[in-house]
Amino acid sequence: MKKSDKKPYNQKTGNTIVSYLWSAPSLILICLIVIFPILYTGYISLTNMNVYHWFTYDFIGIENYKEALLVFDSGFLSALVLTVLWTVVNMILQLIIAYLLAGLLNTNGLKLRNFYRTLLIFPWAMPGYVSILLWKTGMFNSQFGLLNQWMEKAGVSPVKWLANDVSAFICCTVVNLWLALPFMITIIDGALQSVDRSYYESALLDGANWMQRTWYITIPAIRPVIAPSVVITIFTTFKQFDVIYLLTQQAGAKTGAHIHTILTYAYENAFITNNYGYSSAVSMIIFLILIVFSYVINIKPKEES
Amino acid sequence: MKHRKRKRIIKLVFVNLVLILVCVLTFVPILYAFSVSVNEQNSLLSSDFSFIPKKMTFENYRKVFTEEPVIMWFQNSLFLAVSTVVISLGTGIPAAYIFSRRKFPGRNMILQLLILLYAFPSLLSMTALYKLLSPMGLINTKMGLIIVYTGTMAVFALWNMKGYFDTIPVEIEEAAMIDGASPIRIVQKIVLPLAKPTVAVTAMMVLIYVWNEYIFAINFMTGEHTYTLAAGLYSLQANETSGSWPVFSAASLMVSVPILIIFFALQKNMASGLTSGGVKG
Amino acid sequence: MKKLTALLLSIVMLIGILTGCGAGGQSLTEEEKNTIVIWHDKEEAVSNALLEMLQKLVPEVTVSLEYKSNLTEALKMVGNDPKAAPDMYFFAHDKIGVYAEMGILAPVTDLVDRGTLDDSYVKMTLDAATYKGELYQLPIYFETLLFLYNRLYMPDEKAPKTTEELYSYMEEKTRGGHYGFVEQHSTAYYSAGWIHGFNGYIMDADGKVGLGSQETISALTYHKKFVELMPGESEYATVNTLFQEGKAHATIGGPWLVSAVRAAGMDLGIAPMPVIDETQIPISPYMGVQGVQVLKYAAENKTEAVKKVLTALMQPEVGIALAKVSGCAPAVEACYEKEEVTSDDVVMAMRAMAENTIPMPNRPEMDIMWTVAADMLVNINMSGQDVKESCEAAQKNAEELIKKMQ
Repeated sequence: MKKSDKKPYNQKTGNTIVSYLWSAPSLILICLIVIFPILYTGYISLTNMNVYHWFTYDFIGIENYKEALLVFDSGFLSALVLTVLWTVVNMILQLIIAYLLAGLLNTNGLKLRNFYRTLLIFPWAMPGYVSILLWKTGMFNSQFGLLNQWMEKAGVSPVKWLANDVSAFICCTVVNLWLALPFMITIIDGALQSVDRSYYESALLDGANWMQRTWYITIPAIRPVIAPSVVITIFTTFKQFDVIYLLTQQAGAKTGAHIHTILTYAYENAFITNNYGYSSAVSMIIFLILIVFSYVINIKPKEES
Repeated sequence: MKHRKRKRIIKLVFVNLVLILVCVLTFVPILYAFSVSVNEQNSLLSSDFSFIPKKMTFENYRKVFTEEPVIMWFQNSLFLAVSTVVISLGTGIPAAYIFSRRKFPGRNMILQLLILLYAFPSLLSMTALYKLLSPMGLINTKMGLIIVYTGTMAVFALWNMKGYFDTIPVEIEEAAMIDGASPIRIVQKIVLPLAKPTVAVTAMMVLIYVWNEYIFAINFMTGEHTYTLAAGLYSLQANETSGSWPVFSAASLMVSVPILIIFFALQKNMASGLTSGGVKG
Repeated sequence: MKKLTALLLSIVMLIGILTGCGAGGQSLTEEEKNTIVIWHDKEEAVSNALLEMLQKLVPEVTVSLEYKSNLTEALKMVGNDPKAAPDMYFFAHDKIGVYAEMGILAPVTDLVDRGTLDDSYVKMTLDAATYKGELYQLPIYFETLLFLYNRLYMPDEKAPKTTEELYSYMEEKTRGGHYGFVEQHSTAYYSAGWIHGFNGYIMDADGKVGLGSQETISALTYHKKFVELMPGESEYATVNTLFQEGKAHATIGGPWLVSAVRAAGMDLGIAPMPVIDETQIPISPYMGVQGVQVLKYAAENKTEAVKKVLTALMQPEVGIALAKVSGCAPAVEACYEKEEVTSDDVVMAMRAMAENTIPMPNRPEMDIMWTVAADMLVNINMSGQDVKESCEAAQKNAEELIKKMQ
């Protein structure tokens, strides 16, 4: 190890081996925990593993995929449209709000910066299901929720927040923002600190206003730092299941809103069949759709170098 | 000069006001949980709720400690969290550094591919991971969970730290290289001190993930003594036949406290990264 | 960095060691053969009482009761893996179809004498636990929904005998934040009682889907006028809290609700289910039978210990102990000869209802039916969609999903 390390940069093959050696532990873990389940799901999707053939499943080729394509009916299409809308709305709001708040946190001379930042990330310190439960029963419940109790005090008649599609969508977005902003704020805040102050000083001398500084200095500077996190967040938002499911569709606690994302839709139309082969095929197709989607809108993280 | 100072003070007052407002808004559900937890009446739901309970009680907090093996859950969580953070950084830093500093065949492809893996809907991953861990005898072991957690966070750790390393100028490293320093020394002495913010953020992210994760913990571990805090909390969760909302609320809040302390402790580290390092590109 | 390398090396080694151990010998030691792990998802009062009884009745077997959240999903995952699966699990009877088809359950009749069971158990519980002619569960107790009312508002003589009486009571009392009657109207478990009262069914014992039938449509059309006088939320937290806080005068709820409201000091009445005027059948909710299922691996490899535990669980004392701690209705007939049991009004109310309730179907298809039926109920009750159309769409959807199980 020591010897090869001392070789200069441009010695190609040694360099490649060393590079892979350095990254091997990380890549092996990724292969085991992230890639293996995908391959396994792909394999199961070609078998008839279900309740009736749990241990003795056979290879049945692409049968499951033929079946699975039937799930992608009009209901699926509207779920897909809604998922895209959900992703776009959430990402835009998240980025703008997080940027503004991180900006405020980085104001020169702000003494309580650490204090505010700790408070702002509090939501993150709770397991997601706890927060969603709190919001659902504590805030949105039509009989007891704080929102309705406040509205009653203000003399407005109570609202069933989660019962219709539009207000349920807004409620889900609020909860999702509440859950996701701490991450975004932290990432952007960290990125803002990596921006060289001297750029701002010269820009200020040139008389650049806040918008100009944001647009020409801050954003280009933080983009490469936050890009991977943003891309990851886009995917997580796209795949968001808990917020929407637990708020509006949990078994025994459905609220009447019909806001299905592709995952909640797939859950109700495939996963509940206990047909593992079939559900795997649906998962693989969703995986492909997402990849295609990410290429279409070109959200690959770019490197600025 | 005076005018500028006054302008700055006004600006600071304004910034403070906005931040206070946002914090208060953020805290509404948490204050709600808090007041449920100290309310004598046994209900999360009440049609005449007020933030200040009519009768205060810390009974529910006492119950959390005396009736549930919280200390044991805390130890489990702590052990898992620390191990996962250490391994994540130990595997992530060298990988991120290499991906940031060197061009080698397969590099770009791997980077792109890793991100795409996030597109996989992981609802079904549980069984696959079970099939992977079970033959190795890792089900119902902490090691099994640590491997799952580290692997889950590995892509994030790699990408996040690589992004930050990219912004650290390479000139110093090149100078050190000419002086004959080995890459390991360079990472240790030059890169890591400059990359403190990202290492801190990554560590915190991993820690929070482990702290709050419950799905793997409840499915791969059996028995109350193996629970993590999040899994224990999940089992305490009030449902139709059992459970108490106030105790659950009290436990939820207590679970968050250690995270907040750690976050507060890490802040200084994050703040003293590049800006005070005196390295200007 | 050296530390790091050392750490990584030790991880690799640890994995190696653990893998090595895992691949070790398969035959069980005497001690292992004598250890029975039972998964359950019950409240502590029940599991503690059960454990105490087992320790008393079979001290020679080491029994451990482990609480498992997500029990049903976890079982699908661990299957019959002796390293991770329990030896038995304690759960309602409605999942036995799934696990029997998966092939992880052993019929209890392999381990205990069928004749004894027939002689000593409430027949309905054994029927409920039978899937495809095999008995897969040793019943311990059963539970069903009860008509509960708050005597403060609804005196005994006002407790409705018929659904029309209930409706006029609701019309009269539902105002100003108070409700005459509340129930979890849009969940399949709670609505099934109304559907059964019209001779309809969600799924019958042969696996036929009944969502689109005329009976179901009439039941839900009739039920809807009650729903309109109930709050918009249908989940347990809202419904139970309204009742508990005295905001709702009556409800349909499980025995688990009884101890909570009594502890809160309510003067609680339990009445027979109201009779539906049109059909003259009372609201007939589902019955759930709670009991232990034995996993195949344990039945084959720990036969003796399993037999001992099952035999112990057949003693009337077990049922009596559970009835005392949480108002469960014992499955063993002999329990009802004891004053401790007969004096409990909740237990006796359920025992009386055992005649006109319907056991939850235990077929694997029920996993689908719960979700599809709930969707349908939400469409009808909460989104205001046409009853007939919703029922027929649900019927079609359920049938399609069932086809996809294969």
